[in-house]
This record gives sequence, structure tokens and C-alpha cells, in this order.
Amino acid sequence: MEPKKISHEALKEEYFYMNHPSGLSIYVYPKKGYSSKYAIFGTNFGSINNTFKLKEQTSFTVVPDGIAHYLEHKLFESKQGDAFKLFSKTGANANAYTSFDKTAYLFSCTDNFEASLNILLDFVQSPYFTQENVEKERGIIAQEIKMYEDSPEWKSYINLLGALYQSHPVKLDIAGTVESISKITPEILYECYNTFYNLRNMALCIVGDVDYEKVFSLVDKKLEYSNPLEVTRFLPVEPHDVAKEFVSESFDIHSSIFNLGFKENMKVDSRLSTAESVYTDIILHHLSSPSCEMYKKLLEEEVINISSFSADHLEGPGYSSVVFSGESCNPQRAAEIIRNYVDKLAISGIDKETFERSKRAVYGKSMTVFNKVSDIANILMGFVFSGKNFFDYMDILDAASLEDLNSRLATELKSKYSALSVASPK
Amino acid sequence: MNSNQIIRESLSQGVNFTYIPDSKFKTTLISFSMFTPLCEKDVSKNALLPGLLSHSCKKYPTLNSISTKLEELYGASVFTSLSKLGESQVVSLYAVGLNSAFAHENSNNIVDLNSLLCEMLFNPSVEEESFKLENVNQEKRQLIEDIESEINDKKAYARRRCEEVMCENESFGISIHGTVEGAKKLDGQEAYKAWKKLLSSSHIEIMVIGTAACSKIVSEFKNRLSKIKRENITSCNTQIIKKAEEIKEIEENMEVSQSKLVMGLRTEIAAPHSDTTALLVMNALFGGTAQSKLFLNVREKLSLCYYCSSRYNKHKGVMFIESGVEKDNVEKAKKEIMQQLKEIKIGNFTDLELEETKLFLSQGVKSTNDSLSALNSWYVSQAFSEEIKSPRDIIEEINNIKREKVIEVANKITLDTVYLLSAKNQKEEA
Repeated sequence: MEPKKISHEALKEEYFYMNHPSGLSIYVYPKKGYSSKYAIFGTNFGSINNTFKLKEQTSFTVVPDGIAHYLEHKLFESKQGDAFKLFSKTGANANAYTSFDKTAYLFSCTDNFEASLNILLDFVQSPYFTQENVEKERGIIAQEIKMYEDSPEWKSYINLLGALYQSHPVKLDIAGTVESISKITPEILYECYNTFYNLRNMALCIVGDVDYEKVFSLVDKKLEYSNPLEVTRFLPVEPHDVAKEFVSESFDIHSSIFNLGFKENMKVDSRLSTAESVYTDIILHHLSSPSCEMYKKLLEEEVINISSFSADHLEGPGYSSVVFSGESCNPQRAAEIIRNYVDKLAISGIDKETFERSKRAVYGKSMTVFNKVSDIANILMGFVFSGKNFFDYMDILDAASLEDLNSRLATELKSKYSALSVASPK
Repeated sequence: MNSNQIIRESLSQGVNFTYIPDSKFKTTLISFSMFTPLCEKDVSKNALLPGLLSHSCKKYPTLNSISTKLEELYGASVFTSLSKLGESQVVSLYAVGLNSAFAHENSNNIVDLNSLLCEMLFNPSVEEESFKLENVNQEKRQLIEDIESEINDKKAYARRRCEEVMCENESFGISIHGTVEGAKKLDGQEAYKAWKKLLSSSHIEIMVIGTAACSKIVSEFKNRLSKIKRENITSCNTQIIKKAEEIKEIEENMEVSQSKLVMGLRTEIAAPHSDTTALLVMNALFGGTAQSKLFLNVREKLSLCYYCSSRYNKHKGVMFIESGVEKDNVEKAKKEIMQQLKEIKIGNFTDLELEETKLFLSQGVKSTNDSLSALNSWYVSQAFSEEIKSPRDIIEEINNIKREKVIEVANKITLDTVYLLSAKNQKEEA
């Protein structure tokens, strides 16, 4: 089976894609001149997938919160031993992460790429969960959870999601709680593994100065046919209204940290289109830029500082929110300024000159993605799981119009659907 | 890419310019770093400069106008850092912009960006030998907030406190942002003098990495520097304390759910000593990788923590070990950490472990060439080196390190300070 070449002339970039007979989507992205090679093997299974059922089952199974993350930790152990130990033979730098909507295993290296790729493909496909090794991990993960508990930034962010979302599991902490992980057993881990680590639910992205044909043939030997995916994921209907407009928690800190989120109305399990993401990125660039009147006002009133203020977009199956965050001596006032500006802008729209300038800036900033093999691989995987094409983004950005931007602005950001989370000093 | 392509020249007394051409990147990085001795008298003034210089200049007097200009330059960014290199305070400004080949309507994108950076550095918003009052007040407020919020990140806070306690009588113990009291006292005239002094007498490293019309950039810097009388250039004199005399133990309490343990050690070996690479290898074997002694024992074997690692600062000749553990397990963790150090000192590691560690390290070093920021730090951190080494040179050194050498350098290490940020005791009422 021939891989398909996908290239972009203006960007001078290209990659190869193959839907392997096993069911796995494989992407190989050669980057000439780089000594680093990066491979990431991921599954479309994250912390939000805590309720699901298989075809033959009549009712949904609810698994403990934090299971996807626990599984990520445990998959490094195989009958052949610890995967880190195997990687130490090749010198690769291996790691893994779990997010709201995916779990990914990765390594970067400069030498022995093929040997490392074999290790990656092997260990992700060979689960080995025992009573003993699952137990051993509980203390380690409990300490990871406690490390996050001591981060007011993270807690304020998670509290915001709890305020924005009434029922969507994006409101739950990715790693779960010390209490929820106490219920995790080898049996539940196997059940999740067998359900979601089906090659049809997974993707492999490889970026670096590699020979794509060699890579495809090497990968081919490691894959076996996967049965059709027969899982139904349950995601609740999420109303547009926020759960709470304000939430606060106190910490042993000096100044307040705020997260102000604007929630978009999303259909169950739906994702934004590439165009919607492009327009969100242009809007967010404008709103977080010091060239914006809102930023000027926030600084003049001294309710933000430049080193901590930022805006981000969180998006996944059934959720999309824009989040402003930073340190502030007066989070309520900062939130008021942002809400007022956003509501006004939704009516007036962005002017032509600002639009052209912001669009050009987003283009320039997006190009930095192509500088690093790790960035390309991770972003590519994100595009794969959301069913989008990587290079489309740049073309849609290039063709972006002011009219479409302003209509996106009018639907996406409304203070009526916003919530404020504050981590405050004791 | 290899090191013989690097162009390096002196633009003025104590000003080094380095160009690393590399067409694989789509953007170009320009950095301007000023090195000055870290001292209490100057630390706060210098800490105010990154903001004062990068948020306003004569040509673009407001942050709003600078930001508009950067957007026109295809979303270029200018950012700053304050850091320590040994006992130097390093004030840096960086500019990153899209290569002209991709900037369809501006064939001079990088040269224009460099001009903006030069305006910020050499032509700031000053009048009558003072920075503008409103700018000074805005930057002071933000510097104070930055210092006060250091406590928000408990891991970083514990790390900094350990450095402070361990090096209380050395410049290294001075916090890079200075103190709130120091920041409060600052005014426009003092900041002006500090800016003048940095430009005239700090050691300066200018880096350009990527694809740029190098000659235009060089001539712009030369032209700007020619108007400055460069004199009394400061050098870097870092005090190296070879051995810890006694172990300092400090415990502080806060409302945390996990205790943060940081241990500071003296290694006796600091740049330009030829054994710094041996210590780099020793550190990786001890606590620098997911196969290191600390990771395998403190985390994997005893399940005491999520993170336990060590890092070696070759410019100061010190090592720091950090871990997040339950309060009740602190003693157990400390004991195991010291036991693992002892294991290395007595040579209790296999040749295979050593070879694997070297393989891992050398791959990390090799990948320096694939990142603009990694390349920049690699060369800027050699500001005071007699001989500039490329990643390839260091890989060769790593490969030549023998087990005897690792044992030898490990045996020079002594524990100096144990810092613990622990939870307030809640059991007292029970």
C-alpha cells in the first residue's frame, strides 16, 4: 500500500500519510537538516472518556476519574520490563502525557531511531497490569496529584472549568483525585486499554530527517489487524449556560491569580471546524495583544501585569472556551474590563486595519511551528484526532475575511456565558 | 550544520557578535545579552531595565505602538530575560521574526526587526537623563508584583530559598529580581544611570541565528556602538566555595499539600575547570534521567515521590537535588538520596549504566542544533570562556569520560544545605 504525499508549496513543507491495513493512521514528516527525530504514538482517549459502552453491552460503564492518566503511567511496564529501561539502550528521551481528550507516548532522539521506534511500538501494544505493579504506582501518582494541588495556577484553571461546565467531564482534573485513583484495578485498566488502544483509534506521527519508505516498512512489521472500533462514548448534553459565574479558592500566595473563561455553545461531541479555529486564533491574538485598547486599559488601571497576562483557547469534543488568565490585585475589575470590551467588540466588530495586522501576525507566529520537530508532531496529532488537515489551517488563514471574523466574534464570545475563577491569598 | 560555519567577531571592546547561519529554521533569533557583576547595589536597577527598554522607546513611545509595529513585522516578538551566569547578572533582550523569504510584503523583515531592537536598546524613552516617570512607575509596580508572586510557584520558591540560604554570604544568593524594598526605592535617574553603565561597561554578547542579511545587522550594531564610549569592561569573577563546612538545615512552613525538599551541594568543580563535563555525566547518572539512581530508587523502588532529580550548575560549581514528598516521608527520602550519592562515590554503578547515560546525554547535546533558543543559550553561556566549544566538542568530551573520573568527581561533592518547605502541622489539634 502506497503512502500519500501531502505537500504545501508556499510553506516548503511536506509529509506522507498512510491508513495502514491494521487500522492505524501513520504520518511521516521528513525534515531535512535536523538531527533530532521525534515519534509520537497516541490514542484518542483522554480524561473526558470516563463513560462508554461496547457494542455487546446494554449499559454504560463508568470508570474512575483519572484512569486514562493512570493507564499512561502503567503502560511503560511490559512483561519484557520497564520501557524506560529499554530506551536507555538507545539513548532516546522518552515520555508520555495525558490530556482531556488524548493520551500520547513519545520519544526524541538523534541516533538509533529505528531501535527506539520499535520499542515505542512494542510497549504501547503490550499492556502488563498486575495487582502489584498497579499498587506500586498509586503512591507516585498520588504525589503527582498533590504537586498539582500546590499549583494555584492549575487549580484556578480547573476550578474555572468546573464553573463553566455543568456536566461535561472536561470539568474534572485529568489525573483524578487521590480518592478516585484508589478504586483503580488491573481489570479496569485492561478494560480501558482493550477498548481505546485499538489501532483504529490511534495515530503515529514521526518527524525528522528520516527515509519515509523505510519507516513505513519498519512500522508495518509491528502492526496487526485491529477489529473495527465498537465503542460508544457517552458525553452529556452541555447547556450553554455556565454552572457558576464565580468561583474562588484561597491559597498561601501573595497576589490573586484569575482565569476568566468564555464558553461557546457546542453540540454533544462536536468539534470546531478549521475555519472556526483560525478565526478564534485571530480574535485571541488581538485580545491578548498590547496593541488592543482592552490591554491598554487593563494596564492603565494596573489590574494585570505583562509577564503573566495571556489568552488561550481550550477546545475538544463538545467543549470550546476562550480563557484569559494572569495575576491581578483586582481580578473582579480585570474581568469587568475584559467582559465589557468583548461585548462591545462583538457588536462593533474588529476594524479592517486591525484585522489585517492581526492576521499577518498570526501567520508569522504560526510559521514558528515548523521550526521544531516536536511541535510539528504534537500539533499534527492534534489535527488528526480532530479530523482536520494540517496544512488547511495555513490556507484558510491566508483566505480569512473580515466579515467571517466578525460573525465568528459575535457568536463565540459573550459575557453572558462567562465565568471567573480566582485563586486568592489567605 | 557544523561549527566552522559560525561567524564570530568583536564589534567593540567587550562586545562579541556571533552569527550562526541555519536555513532550516523559518524564523531568525537575535539576542543581545549584557553581563554585569551580580551585587545588591545594582541588582534592582538592572532588574527594571528589561521592561523599561522593551515596552517603550523614543520612536515607539507606548507599548501599544511597539506592539502594533511588531504585528506589522509578521507577528515578530521581542522578549526579555534576567538570569544568572555564575555570579553575573545577565540582562537580555531577544527578537524573533519570520524570515524575509516568507514575509511576502517585506523583504527586509529581519533587518527591520533588528532596527526596532536597536531602538529599544540604544534609544529608549528618556528625557533629561531620566526614564519617563510614568514608565518607571508602571515597571516598578510590575517588578514588585513579579517578586511578590514568586511564592505562587512553590517548587520554584523552594529552589530559590535553598540558593539563598546556601549562598547567603555569596553574590550567588542574591535573587535575580532583587527585593521589593530595592524596587520601591528606584527612580528614573537611577535607572538611566544603570542603562548607561550597562551599555558602556558590561560584557556584551550579540547572537544572530537563522537566515539574515548579516552584514546589515552588523553594520547597524557597529554604528550604534560607535556612539558609546566603551570602558572599564566588567569581567566575571565567580566565587567558588569548594567544600561545605557544615550542613545547614532550614525548614519553613506554608499551607502546602506536599513538602518540597531541595538539597544544595558543593562540587568543587566549576568552569573553566576541565572536569565540568565529568560532573555533567556524574549528575546525569545520579539524578538527571529516568534511569538515574534517584529516579529508580526514590521514585520507582520506594514510590516516595513523583519527581526527584538533580542538576549541576557548572558556572557556580554547585548541585541541587529536588523532590516533592509527603511530610512523613521526608527523612526517608533524604536518607535514600544521600545513600544513592554514596553508591556513586563508591563506584556502585555498572559500565553499561555509564555508557547508557553518556549516550542519552550526548543525544541531548546533539539536538541543541535543532532549536534557536537552545543554540542561543549554548553560545551565550560561553561568554567568558577562553575557547568556544560546539555541541560536537562536548559530545566528544562526554564520550571520553571514564568511570574512574566519575567516581573521582563524585567524591568531591559535599552536602551544604537542606531546605524544606513543609506543610503546617495540622495534627496539633488532634
